[in-house]
Amino acid sequence: MPGPSLLDRRLLIVTGKGGVGKSTISAALALLAARRGKRVLVCEVNAQERIAPLLGAPPTGSVIREARPGISTVVVNPHDSMREYGLMVLKFRTIYEAVFENRVVRYFLKVIPSLAELVMLGKILHEVRARDAGRPRWDLVILDAPATGHAVQLLRVPAALLDTVPAGPLRADAQWMQGLLVDPRATALSIVTLPEEMPVNEAIELDTQVRGVLGIARGALFVNAMPERRFEPAERELLLGLQGEPAPLGPAAWAAVLQSRRAEQAERYLGRARAALDLPTHVVPLLPAEEWGPAAVEDVAALLGEEI
Amino acid sequence: MGAVLSGLAGRRIAVCVGSGGVGKTTVAAAIGLSRALAGEKVLVCTIDPARRLANALGLAALGNVEARVPTHKLAEAGLEAKGELHAMMLDVKRTWDDLVARHAPDRQRLERILRNRIYQQLSGALAGSQEYMAMEKLYELSTERDYDLIVLDTPPTAHALDFLEAPDRIVDFLGNETARRLLSPALHAGKVGLKLFQLGGSYVAKTLGRFTGAEVLQDLAEFMSTFQGMYEGFKERAASVRQLLSEPQVGFVLVAAPNPLSVDEALFFHERLHAEAMPVAGLVMNRVTPDLWPAGTPLPSAGELGAALGGRGTAGLPERLARTLAEHQRAARADAAEAARLFGAAALPHAAVPRLESDVHDLTGLARLAACL
Repeated sequence: MPGPSLLDRRLLIVTGKGGVGKSTISAALALLAARRGKRVLVCEVNAQERIAPLLGAPPTGSVIREARPGISTVVVNPHDSMREYGLMVLKFRTIYEAVFENRVVRYFLKVIPSLAELVMLGKILHEVRARDAGRPRWDLVILDAPATGHAVQLLRVPAALLDTVPAGPLRADAQWMQGLLVDPRATALSIVTLPEEMPVNEAIELDTQVRGVLGIARGALFVNAMPERRFEPAERELLLGLQGEPAPLGPAAWAAVLQSRRAEQAERYLGRARAALDLPTHVVPLLPAEEWGPAAVEDVAALLGEEI
Repeated sequence: MGAVLSGLAGRRIAVCVGSGGVGKTTVAAAIGLSRALAGEKVLVCTIDPARRLANALGLAALGNVEARVPTHKLAEAGLEAKGELHAMMLDVKRTWDDLVARHAPDRQRLERILRNRIYQQLSGALAGSQEYMAMEKLYELSTERDYDLIVLDTPPTAHALDFLEAPDRIVDFLGNETARRLLSPALHAGKVGLKLFQLGGSYVAKTLGRFTGAEVLQDLAEFMSTFQGMYEGFKERAASVRQLLSEPQVGFVLVAAPNPLSVDEALFFHERLHAEAMPVAGLVMNRVTPDLWPAGTPLPSAGELGAALGGRGTAGLPERLARTLAEHQRAARADAAEAARLFGAAALPHAAVPRLESDVHDLTGLARLAACL
């Protein structure tokens, strides 16, 4: 039985190789969900903030703030997450401050293995299940996760703790977090890639890990920056012979040959990704660089809106 | 030989750094290949969990031990190596285990550490552990092996700076006086299965116990206690690694992509390396769009291109050509501006690697990339 559609999940995790456009896809999905009336929170993890600027809003930092109507963003970092988590566990600010703001203890907390990852993930998952006046605070939380290796590290923390930590508050938290992560009705992980050799390989390996190690439901594959096929084979033959001509024809033919090679190669990698990954695949065209920013995110959202 | 490779000439260690997705692995492999072709014995070492180095070298897989890229693989790519190219992918957990084995005073202590749950987390999944082990392994390889050049490809951190900061965090942890003081009653008790109240029974320890669970603290106390006596060894080793990284035989190669965020980060990282007196050997900007049209000259219209084509080609071809060239040149100008910003920051050897016609994922591609360095 097919799971709920992507935007009807409670938590969407977006990851993939560094530099493939995870933030752009996350921002576009947020836009799309908000247009459908959902209240969306997009979380980045300990990162140089991308999402709010991509939505045309000033950086928000570690405080949840509305970037656009219906879309809030936040950058989750270990220090603030630890504080929130500590307050949640201890209930009383004075105790928290006496103990956790103590320089020695703060240092000490840093060194409990994986605690930073746990509290950051905990903060995000807490937002997923938080309710205000009887209804969920957010209809959809999008986690713009770190790149492949670090994302797997982050997402496997609850399971790792369940393997190693005996009964206690940490284990109890790891338990509900893991439950939410592997609930296919609530959570899905989507992979972003580029139609290039290494990003596609990394996407395939990541998918194996998602199935074998993480056990999180798989959402979709986004193939970003797909160059359009602009020249027919016969035209390419012609252009190849014109590269040596004087300007303006030579340089124009050269640019066209480069473009068509890139497009042809991208087709090949797209084909490989489709063949290797049994996932709903959404192809996002390569946009000219000068449109980079909120306008590009709007374009991507418009495009994805027809498919998702 | 290009500027960056010249800048690395005579150096024994090259460390490729930069934020994720800029092509560090490929640049590291290209540097290694180039020196191996020139006759040196080279090792390229990655700790990238995504195993991309093997991929770039045209190998199916890479393990934790050094493997030589076979001569016939090089020959198939039309390359004749006068030297040797070796590659390896670092297994972080095993490097930790080796390091602990080296510092452990006796077998019993070693086994207690290996069994400790905190240690297992630390050596397995703890973020920052990779970065620390990368430097550790680099030190070991450079002091115990006879490579002419070791190229280290650093982990794909979100921020290049994580690479420098993470090891400090771990070393501080291992030699952390304050944590030891906090746990000292437990350390003096020196036995497994301590009750929380034996952790000094202090207010702080009790509250921490509510937070993490008492047994986590016990594990930690045991961990600190088994590590006691090994701190000095670790600290000395870490100091040697830091020392090594500031020697002139080392060259950091800063890799960036032609976009503003990547360049900002590279500039920031460069300042930091400079402040830490770590020698930067060169700057690389990867995948730069080549400039095909003279500056200051207006781009051709579809009409002009149509006239030049003189009836060759299909309908609409001149329009598509004009659009393609214009897009290409916009990208080229933007990339050139970013390259100028990066290279203008310091008088260092630098290279702009053009976006090659095909992806670099094999030895032939690496050799072509090396030619640009």
